[in-house]
Amino acid sequence: MPLTAAFLAELGGIVGPDALIATPEGRLAYEADMHVFYRGMPDAVVLPSTAAQVVAVVRLCRREAVPVVPRGSGTGIIGGAMAPTGGVTVSMNRMNRILELDFRNRCAVVEPGLINLWLSNATRPHGYYFAPDPSSQMVSSIGGNTGTNAGGPHCLKYGITTNHVLGVQVVTGAGELVWLGGKVQERPGYDLTGVTVGSEGTLGLVTAVAVRLLHEPEAVKTLLASFPTLDDASETVSAIIAAGIVPSALEIIDEFFVRAIEEGVGAGYPKGAGAVLLIELDGPREEIEAQAHRIVPLCREHGALEIRVARDEAERALLWKGRKEAAGVVGRMSPNWLLQDAVVPRSRLPEIMRRMQAIAARHGIRIANVFHAGDGNLHPMVLYDDRVPGELERARAANDELLRECLALGGSVTGEHGVGLDKAEAMPLQYEPADLAFMARLRRCFDPDGVMNPGKLLPDHPACGEGFRQRLPELPPGAWV
Amino acid sequence: MSVAVSTVALTEVLAEVVGAEHLLTDPAAREGCAVDGRAPRWVARPADAQQVSRLVMVAHAEGLAVAPRGSGSSVGLGNPPARLDLVMDLTRLDQIEDHAPADMVASVGAGARLDVLDGTFAAAGQMLPLDPAGGEQRTVGGVLATGSSGPRRFRYGTGRDLLLGVRFVQADGTVTWGGARVVKSVTGYDVPKLMVGALGTLGVIVSATLRLHPRPAAAGSWLLSFGSPAAAESLVAALLDSAIEPDRIALVDAGARRRAGLGDGGWAALVSIGSVAEAVASQGAALARLGARHNADVGAAPESAWPALGRALEGPVRLRVGCEVRRVVHWMRELGRLGADGAGEPSAVAEAGNGVIHLALGGATAGTADAVRRLREALAPEGGSAVVERAPATLKAGLDAWGPAPPGAFALMERLKREVDPLGVLNPGRFVGGL
Repeated sequence: MPLTAAFLAELGGIVGPDALIATPEGRLAYEADMHVFYRGMPDAVVLPSTAAQVVAVVRLCRREAVPVVPRGSGTGIIGGAMAPTGGVTVSMNRMNRILELDFRNRCAVVEPGLINLWLSNATRPHGYYFAPDPSSQMVSSIGGNTGTNAGGPHCLKYGITTNHVLGVQVVTGAGELVWLGGKVQERPGYDLTGVTVGSEGTLGLVTAVAVRLLHEPEAVKTLLASFPTLDDASETVSAIIAAGIVPSALEIIDEFFVRAIEEGVGAGYPKGAGAVLLIELDGPREEIEAQAHRIVPLCREHGALEIRVARDEAERALLWKGRKEAAGVVGRMSPNWLLQDAVVPRSRLPEIMRRMQAIAARHGIRIANVFHAGDGNLHPMVLYDDRVPGELERARAANDELLRECLALGGSVTGEHGVGLDKAEAMPLQYEPADLAFMARLRRCFDPDGVMNPGKLLPDHPACGEGFRQRLPELPPGAWV
Repeated sequence: MSVAVSTVALTEVLAEVVGAEHLLTDPAAREGCAVDGRAPRWVARPADAQQVSRLVMVAHAEGLAVAPRGSGSSVGLGNPPARLDLVMDLTRLDQIEDHAPADMVASVGAGARLDVLDGTFAAAGQMLPLDPAGGEQRTVGGVLATGSSGPRRFRYGTGRDLLLGVRFVQADGTVTWGGARVVKSVTGYDVPKLMVGALGTLGVIVSATLRLHPRPAAAGSWLLSFGSPAAAESLVAALLDSAIEPDRIALVDAGARRRAGLGDGGWAALVSIGSVAEAVASQGAALARLGARHNADVGAAPESAWPALGRALEGPVRLRVGCEVRRVVHWMRELGRLGADGAGEPSAVAEAGNGVIHLALGGATAGTADAVRRLREALAPEGGSAVVERAPATLKAGLDAWGPAPPGAFALMERLKREVDPLGVLNPGRFVGGL
């Protein structure tokens, strides 16, 4: 749907000529997020610098029935920040200021384009940090994290983004500018902040976020245990949780990744390990020492080959290095992959990992894993080579089967990436029509004309505009898991 | 009389749903379930979600107004109902539907009582950390729907952080599910959050899937006594800015302290630490040092001091104030003035790390409504609120229970209520802004 010259002129008038991108080569950079399957070029891109500009853009788009696609850093992996039916992409990168650090209230107010890590970088000298730490945190924005309700390794103990958002300033699909929630935690009324977080830009566009800051823990302890098999590592995770210990992170790295990481960046993982379990504890010193004393024997009981404990920050960084580099080395394993992030009840982790191996074998493909094991949030990468006829189809079949197995065990379609375009059609696996209808009603209240990020989050919307591409381009330079 | 005929016919229909023995029409039962003095025409005691659904379907079709009810402890919350026909007592929905200790997740009926649940979860070394004052006898559904919280909120959050999935009955009787049964899920809108604190006005909670936490192996509590509110303020600020990790921080004024049986020593903070024994000891010692630096008198306190705080909040008038964390002491002092015109000694207990103050008053006078209104005006600039949780009819008649909602946010709330309950079946008139 090409935009008229008059529309573009009006758009440019709102944001200024240097904040409007209308050329095809300029727009190309916005045709996809990190999910390479989904392409959809916006007809225009704006980079507003104030909430008032966002309001004017949304009102204009609503008036002209032009879709609005919110976008942060574009590091999502769900086909969220792309424009399947064209329209105007609103890129929030220029709204990236920290508006207020308020340590007495243990919170900060930031603009949505602020890079996640920059906030903690600003607060750590004062002894505080922002807990949600998606692996993309050095590039993803807090607005994007809010839109997808992002998680991360340390969400096991501290919860995902929604547990850390106190309020949002949002421009609704109706073009209203409202604050929902804020610094004060206790408020009468419906928890509209809670539904805005994770709404993937389908209710409105977030223009400011009030976030909770946590005080730095007294101490941190990082352990790395290697196991002969993935099964042993999974059983250990379930045993740790069942023992009533909630580490701040419990990450499994499987054999595929251990090998690729060693070849790629050399994190010093034990040779021949079938899986590595990264365990991080934080809190009062005596508490984490006591927990470590219980965890070490649990690892041994489950056949640990080796257990390392970081003695200082440098060693800790080394233990994390492999985990943090995991996404970067995936290209060593396979030219292409499918990624999902379904969840199972955490006690069913060993079972789903066994089933996963069986599914992979049945379809004749490989599945590699590096994931947040402690909360049952899987990140299987279904590896394939799209130059081999039929591999993509087999990979997709295996991926689909795995998702259904997770739901059959009582799980969830997505644990932290979100729904976007990628999983909209999987929503009925988890929800009945009445449940989805309730969500659709909620959406209507915020966005009566359906201009906000159409096609995302809920099923029964027109599918991807430019269609599913069979032939895939090169892997993105980095993707975060 | 057509009304009488209709009532008889409806009574038959409702009795058919729940069984005649669970449909109460006698005056004593109806008066016992009155909301702000208004008795319903029927009290139904459904056994399961299906019966709740059918009751609401009947109400929806016949234009009846329904008020869900748990233990009844918080029935005073909200504005007087615009209409009230049917009270649904949900206490028979008290099953623990599923408790998976290894997952630290449980699904329970809305009518399950916190004390009963606690016994079950404790046996597995776990807990549901919802501890509103006087809450042991309360139901999960009631605590969630009223958005009640207690001191454990500081570490574990509120119902919004603990409710992973929810089954509810919509205003037309449709049984609906939101959320997931696992600890981490972002599949679709976070519908469970909408049910927390909504007073049943968007749907009737019939079952809740909740995140549980490990019960700390050891715990200790300390009472810190202060010479002045200013000293209390500086201590709490220092505690929040330290690496000490309490699981509960309650700040009490002199009245609350006395009524809770914690002595006559003026303002105090009750702080607990839950962890392993070694950490409780070391963190407790750090707390004592911090207290000494702020001239506080620090002594060990028994666990029983916590439930005793509930006693300090009994009384005919109760307020829930939300404010900035750093302003808690300021507002506690302001609240202290509410008793000045003879409304009885105020008694305030604050969740000091979360900006929540619970206040009990011995009574209301002619000036109380105006005093609350002035308080709300003063709280407004920081986004604060003062909700009347309980009050005599005379006070409620002239005072909105919730206070004003921000207009922009309220417009969305209004649209949402209209969208999901256009006929006003669920608790009409009782919620914020008369929703």
